[in-house]
Amino acid sequence: MSVEWIKSHWTLLVPLLMGALALAWMMPRQGKPRPIAAGLMGLAAVGCAGFFLLKPGPEMVESALFFLFAGTAIVAAGLMITSHNPVYAALWFALVTLSVCGLFLLQSAPFLSAATIIVYAGAIIVTFVFVIMLARQSGAAFYDQSSEQPTWATFASFLLLGGMLVCLGDWRGQSGSDGGMGGGMLKVPAVWQDRELNPNPLSTLPDTEAGVKAAGTMRGLGRSLFGDYLFAVEIAGTLLMVATIGSVAIAPRRAQGGL
Amino acid sequence: MTGVLHNYLIVGSVLFVMGMLGFLTRRNLILMMLSAEMMLHGVSLNLVAFSRAHGNYQGQAFTAFILTVAACEAGLSLALILALYRRRGTLDVTAWTDLGEAPAELPTIPEHDAPHIEQEFPRLKPTGHLPEVPEEETAARV
Amino acid sequence: MSEPIDQLTAWLIPLAPLASAVIIALFGKLFGEGSHRLTVTGLLIAFFCAARVLVMKETSDGTGVVLRGPEWMSVGALQIFADIRIDTMTAIMLCMVTFVSTLVAIYASGYMHGQPGYPRFFAALSLFVFSMCMLVLSNNFLMLFVFWEAVGLCSYLLIGFWFSKPSAAAAAKKAFVVNRIGDFGFMMGIFLLLMTFGTLDYDSVFKMAGDVAEQHPQTITIICLLLFVGAMGKSAQAPLHVWLPDAMEGPTPVSALIHAATMVTAGVYMVARCTPLFVHAPTAQLVVAGVGAVTALLAAFMGMTQYDLKRVLAYSTVSQLGLMFLGLGSAVVSHDLATAAVTASMFHLFTHAFFKALLFLGAGSVMHAMGDVIDMRRFSGLRRLMPKTHITFLCGSLALAGFPLLSGFWSKDEVLAAVMAGTHEGTHQGYFKLLAAAGLITSLLTAFYTFRAYFMTFWGEERIPEEAGHHAHESPASMTTPLMILAIPALLIGGLLGPTGFFGNFLGHTVGLGHEGEHHLHWDVMAISAGVALAGIFGAWLFYVQSPGLAKAGRTALAPLYHLSLNQLYLDQLFTWIIVKPLWVLGWIGLMIERFVIDALLDFIAWVPNLVGKALRPLQNGLVQSYALVMALGLAAILAAMMLR
Repeated sequence: MSVEWIKSHWTLLVPLLMGALALAWMMPRQGKPRPIAAGLMGLAAVGCAGFFLLKPGPEMVESALFFLFAGTAIVAAGLMITSHNPVYAALWFALVTLSVCGLFLLQSAPFLSAATIIVYAGAIIVTFVFVIMLARQSGAAFYDQSSEQPTWATFASFLLLGGMLVCLGDWRGQSGSDGGMGGGMLKVPAVWQDRELNPNPLSTLPDTEAGVKAAGTMRGLGRSLFGDYLFAVEIAGTLLMVATIGSVAIAPRRAQGGL
Repeated sequence: MTGVLHNYLIVGSVLFVMGMLGFLTRRNLILMMLSAEMMLHGVSLNLVAFSRAHGNYQGQAFTAFILTVAACEAGLSLALILALYRRRGTLDVTAWTDLGEAPAELPTIPEHDAPHIEQEFPRLKPTGHLPEVPEEETAARV
Repeated sequence: MSEPIDQLTAWLIPLAPLASAVIIALFGKLFGEGSHRLTVTGLLIAFFCAARVLVMKETSDGTGVVLRGPEWMSVGALQIFADIRIDTMTAIMLCMVTFVSTLVAIYASGYMHGQPGYPRFFAALSLFVFSMCMLVLSNNFLMLFVFWEAVGLCSYLLIGFWFSKPSAAAAAKKAFVVNRIGDFGFMMGIFLLLMTFGTLDYDSVFKMAGDVAEQHPQTITIICLLLFVGAMGKSAQAPLHVWLPDAMEGPTPVSALIHAATMVTAGVYMVARCTPLFVHAPTAQLVVAGVGAVTALLAAFMGMTQYDLKRVLAYSTVSQLGLMFLGLGSAVVSHDLATAAVTASMFHLFTHAFFKALLFLGAGSVMHAMGDVIDMRRFSGLRRLMPKTHITFLCGSLALAGFPLLSGFWSKDEVLAAVMAGTHEGTHQGYFKLLAAAGLITSLLTAFYTFRAYFMTFWGEERIPEEAGHHAHESPASMTTPLMILAIPALLIGGLLGPTGFFGNFLGHTVGLGHEGEHHLHWDVMAISAGVALAGIFGAWLFYVQSPGLAKAGRTALAPLYHLSLNQLYLDQLFTWIIVKPLWVLGWIGLMIERFVIDALLDFIAWVPNLVGKALRPLQNGLVQSYALVMALGLAAILAAMMLR
């Protein structure tokens, strides 16, 4: 950890520090509204990060969409965790979910994108908002106007983020300056080329032009889920049922005149 | 044609960390749960990106399971949150610190009632401190 | 020693009382008021065995028999066997102890009737007789010491029999503590003995005594003095006599048996037993004689003014014990007379046991009738009310006072003769003149205070304290019968055994004691002591029967002396200020150290983890987010560690 190291990593450290400061500053404190300066600083941090850390891909449209979705997701996430109003926070979370679904689409996962929207935005968010409304006191709750241990939490979180980003940066450095593995497929282990030995043959795309084209289709995912992971799917279904029963059992009966 | 894996990893990690930050700072139980879901988003994005990079469906299948488990978790957590709310009438997580150490002062040490020199029969002082017995109890023992 | 003595007979003497003690202690609740039957049975068995041992050929002719007991301990070269030793001195002591204790047990069955703790009393009594028999039977100094302590323990238990009475508890404690002082000296003496001789067996020690005395005369003297310190504690010699008058808080049978007849004579017995050692330490013998004389005189002086009947008798016991030690010390005069002196003391011990037990039991009978009132000022003229008690008490008083031809007369006469011999023989004639004067004055005072007590109790107008109630009549047969039985030896045994030389010849078989040779009757001494005794009795009659005004006048005229005597020379107060109070201060200092040093240290040791816990306490605040934060920090730390690896 020397001056040398800081000099070589300043592109990473600057947006990180700015983002940390902005988030710590924006945390709810005694019901005061979030300062605009902090918001601007957060935006600047996101901008810096996008400028310094992210590399545009070869295709223009795809890159533009990526930056749009990623920016939206991160800004919405920041707004969500600093929101004073839980309903707004839930709505910001919905926006995060939508943006992430957009990123899923860009990554050839249309089924997951749709499923996530349906499950999260359609079901979970609604349920959350419902509960929030149900449990809502008159006026803003005091515990939404303040935050627990914001400084330490920000420090720990961004320490972790910094660590992860440094690792990612080093990894990119090792695998070349063209943006890592972004351009092509990762090597599939040699033994897996033999379909007999591959533990998940249905989940693996053949390393051919047709295979690459087939990537991301619902058909492929369906074959994988109901082929290789059939038992896991069944168990997941069982889990859902158990969770349903559990929720019904745990959730309190409506007392007279109460929630 | 494909997105840059690295970019997605960065976005995923940022989402994960921000979810964690929300979990650590927000006092509203529901917001804490939402933050945890956001952490899951970060992880899902990571998996999907790797799935694309590796050219197989394993990451996507895993993400599908994450979706399932997240749905279960959301249902259960909401039920629990409702139960907690019924108990205390608040969603404040700081209301639920019963298992923590109470921030109590050190117990005060009682003065020893050592015998005076005028007393006829000296008593040995017991090692350590006598347990405090309420007066009505000592009266009942006699 | 040609044929072995009957082992069973010998061992039954201590074991029969022990068996009754154990049975009563374990199953006392079953026997209840019938517990005394066991004790009396055990003691009777012991008495008959002792009598059989006494008349056995081996005992009466030889110099003693040692019965090998089980090995008790073996430490290096030192081997201790639980042997028992039977010789003439032992046999005499055993007979006396078992005889008196049997009578006392019978008496106690009447006296203790209706007392809570009845079985406990008889268990302790049996245990005492066992311990006393073993003390007498022991063949080495260690066993002697062990049972020396055991009789002290029984004495403690019995003085404190009414332990709920504070005065009794305090008296028991006092007796125990004062005895510890003597026992400390005794123990030191035994240690020194072991260091010097390398063995603790009587025979070996006495055999080597001459040689060792030539090499280390000082050592022998020190050993003898230390042993005598032990005897002073047990036999209540000044200044360690203070416990005995207080010991009268115990039940009267206990006073009669333990604090008059048997246990307190253990010191005399021990010194007599160690005669072969003491003859090599003339200095120690002179000290013994001096302490004995001083004790005899002071105790007699203190006994003159006491109003508590039992205390009078207690001081009389102290005084008579002093006389015995005076006799023992007189063995220094010349080698020829040594045996006579020791024999005289043992003889006095023997006769004293009977008449002093008789007197105490008589006092107990009075106390029983008077509803536990023992202050002589509150009753008088009981001779018509309690004729049997009166007659037997008179017998005891006459014997104690040395009335001519009764037991006490003969034995005291022999002791005085031994002392008088020192006035015209040997190298310390001047010293012995003083001792003889002390002995004679003691005899005079003894006769006086004995009959003072007798006259105050049984003569004058008949007065009965109100506490007596319907008890004010003669005691039951179980109490008067032992009195009458005891009166016989109290009157006659001295005359039967003393002047005939029978006792001296018999005792002469004991190892270390030569034969007395021709037994002389000391007509001059007899005349003097008879005159002194009669003068004392007459004085008491004059003061307390003929003209009671004289006593009052005497009290006024000699007020300082009177108060000195009444308050027991202020010895208790002196001890309180010199010994007890400084110990209190020492204890207080210890208490302060305990509270402010040791406790402070302990509190500090407890305080440190308390502080650490207090410092770490906020970490465990029960908030989920705090724990999650620590997890996040830990995760970041792991990541950092992996990066920097």
